[in-house]
Amino acid sequence: MSTIIKQEAAPYLEAFQSRESDAAEPDWLRDRRAAALERFASLGFPTRREEPWRFTNLAPLAREAYPPAPPPKPSKSRLPLEPYLVAGAAHRIVMIDGYVVPELSAIGRLPKGAWLGSTARALAERPDLAEAGYDERDATSAQPFAALNGAFFGDGFVLALAAGAVLEELVEVIHVASTVGRSLHPRSAVIAGAGSRATLVETFCGAGAWTNGVLRIELGADASLDHVRIQDEALDAIHFGVTRARLGRGARYESFTLTTGARLSRQDVQVVIEGEGARCGVNGAYLLRGQQEATTATVIDHAAPGGTTREVFKGVLEDRAHGVFLGRIAVRPGADKTDAHQLNRNLLLSPRAAVDTKPELEIFADDVKCSHGATVGDLDEAALFYLCSRGIDETAARRLLIEAFATDAIEATVSVGDLAAHLRRCLGVWLEQSGSA
Amino acid sequence: MTALLDIKDLHARVGEGAEAKEILRGIDLAVGAGEVHAIMGPNGSGKSTLAGVLAGRPGYTVTEGQVLYEGRDLLALAADERARQGIFLAFQYPVEIPGVNNMYFLRAALNAVRKSRGESELDAGQFLKAVRAKLKHLDIGEDLLQRAVNVGFSGGEKKRNEIFQMAMLEPKLAILDETDSGLDIDALRVVATGVNRLRDPKRSIVLITHYQRLLEYIEPDRVHVLGGGKILQSGDKTLALELEKRGYAHLGSAA
Repeated sequence: MSTIIKQEAAPYLEAFQSRESDAAEPDWLRDRRAAALERFASLGFPTRREEPWRFTNLAPLAREAYPPAPPPKPSKSRLPLEPYLVAGAAHRIVMIDGYVVPELSAIGRLPKGAWLGSTARALAERPDLAEAGYDERDATSAQPFAALNGAFFGDGFVLALAAGAVLEELVEVIHVASTVGRSLHPRSAVIAGAGSRATLVETFCGAGAWTNGVLRIELGADASLDHVRIQDEALDAIHFGVTRARLGRGARYESFTLTTGARLSRQDVQVVIEGEGARCGVNGAYLLRGQQEATTATVIDHAAPGGTTREVFKGVLEDRAHGVFLGRIAVRPGADKTDAHQLNRNLLLSPRAAVDTKPELEIFADDVKCSHGATVGDLDEAALFYLCSRGIDETAARRLLIEAFATDAIEATVSVGDLAAHLRRCLGVWLEQSGSA
Repeated sequence: MTALLDIKDLHARVGEGAEAKEILRGIDLAVGAGEVHAIMGPNGSGKSTLAGVLAGRPGYTVTEGQVLYEGRDLLALAADERARQGIFLAFQYPVEIPGVNNMYFLRAALNAVRKSRGESELDAGQFLKAVRAKLKHLDIGEDLLQRAVNVGFSGGEKKRNEIFQMAMLEPKLAILDETDSGLDIDALRVVATGVNRLRDPKRSIVLITHYQRLLEYIEPDRVHVLGGGKILQSGDKTLALELEKRGYAHLGSAA
């Protein structure tokens, strides 16, 4: 173990020593856990002196330690999940505190070449998938929380598609937090072979825990994944999520993330365009109120020529909420014919709401088409008066304008009808609770 | 009989604090039920301010005087309440609202107005039927209504859309703020026909215009000339013709 151990890491090191280790765990996993823990111990929590964390206030996390949650006790009690269920989902995995609960999950008939289940089951039945899904870079990355997850994770889900396998129906994963003051470390993977296709929706909900999730996505040549991620955890929760995607030649990754929950949240989406002509859409909306703080940090790395990035994030903030958007698009030497557009638009509905937005383009190739834009503003007063002048009351008019602002991002980027409808419903629920609308 | 709209010694300013500027300086005007009044005047005379104050546009402060609508204090009502009470403003510059569907918007507006009249709300089917009945006279394609409010509309389409909204909402008092501006002669004819079709003994119309041209198509009962924030002269339709010949200049420095 390294001699440099950050003070804030100490409780987590102790928790690691005292955890019951699984005798059946393979050596590679044992080694990776140890390496990841060491990495976390030497990194500690990031500080605001580090650029990617400059705008993120980690005080709520530093105040107390969040010991990892134990696996949930078997229970048949029904969870109030109805509001989160997506119409048309044929395969459902329910996780509690970072562990898949088979009794609550229902996986339908899978086509040939498709594998879907818990990471724990993958370790037993398909260790090759489990190993491929575990990103070995966590022991070297600069992301301390992904490393912490790498040390502690208990379970997650694995969706693996052999070349050409097509999963027409939606795969739905619901992450439920049930314990306050604990940390949850789900680690999951989507490994899609050449020409395969799937649609995945993940929802995070539940109690005031600290969710610290990692999702790895590997898309082979011409593979395609539509991915929606909804974070609606309790307003005293902390939520970190890292999604790392690697796209092979001609692959397509289309994501939308909706953030409405947690007191403090940060989601990192990191996409590497590794193969020629790959395309990613990285989109989302953050709707924040009260004292919520949410950071969206995206890094799109164009490492191959002919790649396309379309990125739109919209923020709606009321009360004293604080939103942060950090969007980096890098075009490496030789990644010619890259076509990348990024847009971040924010609507501030209260004088005390705030947004920090930082678009970044780093271009080291010639012959590229790249652009970015960022706006921060309040509701258009002229539009508001126009609606009111036709008899629509001000509350309804404001709601209509906020809805239009946020819906626009969904309509323009989510091509799966059931998912777009579900996201619009989530938006409606948020608006119902709005003080400004 | 009391007038539908009774404006008494209305003073209003635009802006706040040191920036404030008095625009209306004592307007007196009574509009009876079913009457069409034209308000003419040069740029800066206060025409659009008057329209804005009547409709409840933010940014104006009434400093003196009162406005009675159906005998009640109009200025105490918020803009949306005025609209539900039967006041309609056709905008000089209709606002583009991206992301808000025209049909959805208009149905919400119509149902808000109907609800306050004690009428039942229209479902999508009933609404569509009502829309089709009004559309055919205004040369507006249904596809236009499926778009976002005024987004990508030409100048003429925007103005026709205003008149279409007026036809749907069936106001008691319609204020048309320079609806003729920016229209070519064909578009003007369409808009004027639309307005004339809405003339009704129970509907009063205030036409605000810079030019006499509109009045060739919509014949007013009364014509008022606004200058320097006051009504300088009132008369019948012949006053408009006289203005056309002699211009506003002869009205003196007040204009």
